[in-house]
Amino acid sequence: MIRLLKILEFALSSLGRRKFKNFSIIVVYSLTITALASVLLLTSSLKKTALNVLVDGPNIVVQRLAGGRHDLIPTDYARIIEKIPGVGRVKPRIWGYYYDSLYHANYTILGIDRGSEQFAMVEGKTPAGDEQCMVGQGVAEAQHAEPGMDLLLINSKGIGYSCEISGTFKAKSALWTNDLIVFTTGALKRFFTMPDGLATDITVEVFNAGEVALVAQKIKRLLPDTRPITIDEILHTYESIFNWRSGMMLTIFTSSLLAFSILAWDKATGISREEKREIGILKAIGWDTGDVLTLKLCEGAVISVTAFLIGISLAYIHVFLLNAPLLVPVLKGWSVLFPRFHPVPYIDGYQIIILGFLTIVPYMASTVLPSWKAAITDPENAMRGV
Amino acid sequence: MAGIIQVERISKYYNRNQPDEVRALSDIHLTIAAGEALVVNGASGCGKTTLLGLVGCMSRPTSGSVLVDGRDVSRLPERFLGDIRRRTFGFIFQQLNLIKSISVLENTLLPLYPGKLSMKEMKIRAEEILARFDLNTRAGEKVSRLSGGEQQRVAIARALIHQPQVIIADEPTAHLDSVLAAELLDILSGLNREGKTVLIATHDPFVSNHSLIDRVIRMRDGRIID
Ligand SMILES: Nc1ncnc2c1ncn2[C@@H]1O[C@H](COP(=O)(O)OP(=O)(O)OP(=O)(O)O)[C@@H](O)[C@H]1O
Ligand SMILES: [Mg+2]
Repeated sequence: MIRLLKILEFALSSLGRRKFKNFSIIVVYSLTITALASVLLLTSSLKKTALNVLVDGPNIVVQRLAGGRHDLIPTDYARIIEKIPGVGRVKPRIWGYYYDSLYHANYTILGIDRGSEQFAMVEGKTPAGDEQCMVGQGVAEAQHAEPGMDLLLINSKGIGYSCEISGTFKAKSALWTNDLIVFTTGALKRFFTMPDGLATDITVEVFNAGEVALVAQKIKRLLPDTRPITIDEILHTYESIFNWRSGMMLTIFTSSLLAFSILAWDKATGISREEKREIGILKAIGWDTGDVLTLKLCEGAVISVTAFLIGISLAYIHVFLLNAPLLVPVLKGWSVLFPRFHPVPYIDGYQIIILGFLTIVPYMASTVLPSWKAAITDPENAMRGV
Repeated sequence: MAGIIQVERISKYYNRNQPDEVRALSDIHLTIAAGEALVVNGASGCGKTTLLGLVGCMSRPTSGSVLVDGRDVSRLPERFLGDIRRRTFGFIFQQLNLIKSISVLENTLLPLYPGKLSMKEMKIRAEEILARFDLNTRAGEKVSRLSGGEQQRVAIARALIHQPQVIIADEPTAHLDSVLAAELLDILSGLNREGKTVLIATHDPFVSNHSLIDRVIRMRDGRIID
């Protein structure tokens, strides 16, 4: 034990001796970690946010199918579904997409009932009447609009439709609301020229989460032309979308990892003549091979743990305090209107451990292995640096 | 008593089976009794350093064996040798082999890191021995800034600090003036009287003729001639 402490002390002082070299290693190392960890922190935070929004939502979404495709659903269906035991609130929804040919952007349009408490994250007010609407950050920015101004949309019949913007969603919910325009249900029905008694889909809340699948089955039996989609299915879809999206991130991830292994490899293939000589001297005056390994492990651990912590901290600052300015260009490729967002701080410990494992282990191996090789050669040869 | 060395029919080649093959030692047979003080003499290139290196477990013979306290060290895996070197030998290298970028004190302390002494005890011991070699005022200085003689004394201090059974010194007076050389031989005499084995390679007649020395061995072209 005392031997270990003494060697650790020696390791610290010998790190201090090669200030420039060790400093450069720590800089490169921690920047690599920063890049990798930024990607990980950002994707897991986005995913988490998306899932959170979904988890708060309805348990089942019921669509009607016509010819195997999504079609409008009679609002009467809601009354049938309500009667199934265990079912809570059942609500027909009206929503759709809108393509803005002027700005080449896709928006989602959602209808809400007047006085609905559904959206708490508003700057300004929820629409008070059919001539008012509410927009997401992305829409507001694209249209250079702000509360009080008018928004002009043109429907499929070529009829212009203008409404006053009563409020915008806060950036915090941007992932969800960025491309969103909210009308009152009545206004939206008119905009879409939707006949009465029909809705886009119906949301269903189930009291007991364990009964969701059962309720979905019952709906399917009672209303054979519908397709009930459970929250789990939606989550899966989201997961796979995110996994697909993180594919691009993964490319960055692997290329940085590659750069890192090149660095590590470079170190592996060359500990300096001077370092070999020192190991030879230590062996010659009675250090065990194990003592030399301990020394090099301590040195490597100090460097890699320091760099790792610096890297993780920088990544945290980059992603959560500065809103990932370096990654936004990549994210922008995802959609025309990617939110100017504020990722919600969330750290996936498992990912951080994996990252630590994937970087610390190769680095340690790359420094300890060549030292070990020097430590098992005859001191006379090692001292000559061969 | 510990400190018996038996060298049995050893030969040492460098660059074996290559165009630049050198036969540095041939068929050396030598027994050094515990507590003996012995000098190896001979022209430059005759193999003194090579012999000392084999005895001190710094390298391995091409053939033959080296026994330290009856144990054949020439075939032992490297991982067992650290312990033997530390317990048995204090080696003063011809090339000194100091770590130039650290201080006099740190160089002197090096052999004690693997031992049981606390850092504090180690420092006390180092100060003691540095004072004996008139280096106590330079303890904090980087070795690279010392003169040749001062560096030699650091190398000697480092070889003695862990109180080894056998002291192996390769040209220990090469960089010392006569006063310092006499001082060194006094110290070695004291240690020898305590029962330590002393093995020195030297050209220096002052060393060979010193009262400490029990026996002088002459070498030529890798062989012992008498
Ligand atoms: N690492 C080596 N590789 C090749 N040849 C070597 C090596 N070390 C020593 N030699 C050769 O072995 C022979 C003996 O060298 P050694 O250093 O033992 O002589 P020495 O008696 O100590 O000489 P000096 O008095 O000059 O120190 C010399 O011919 C030398 O050139
Ligand atoms: Mg020599």
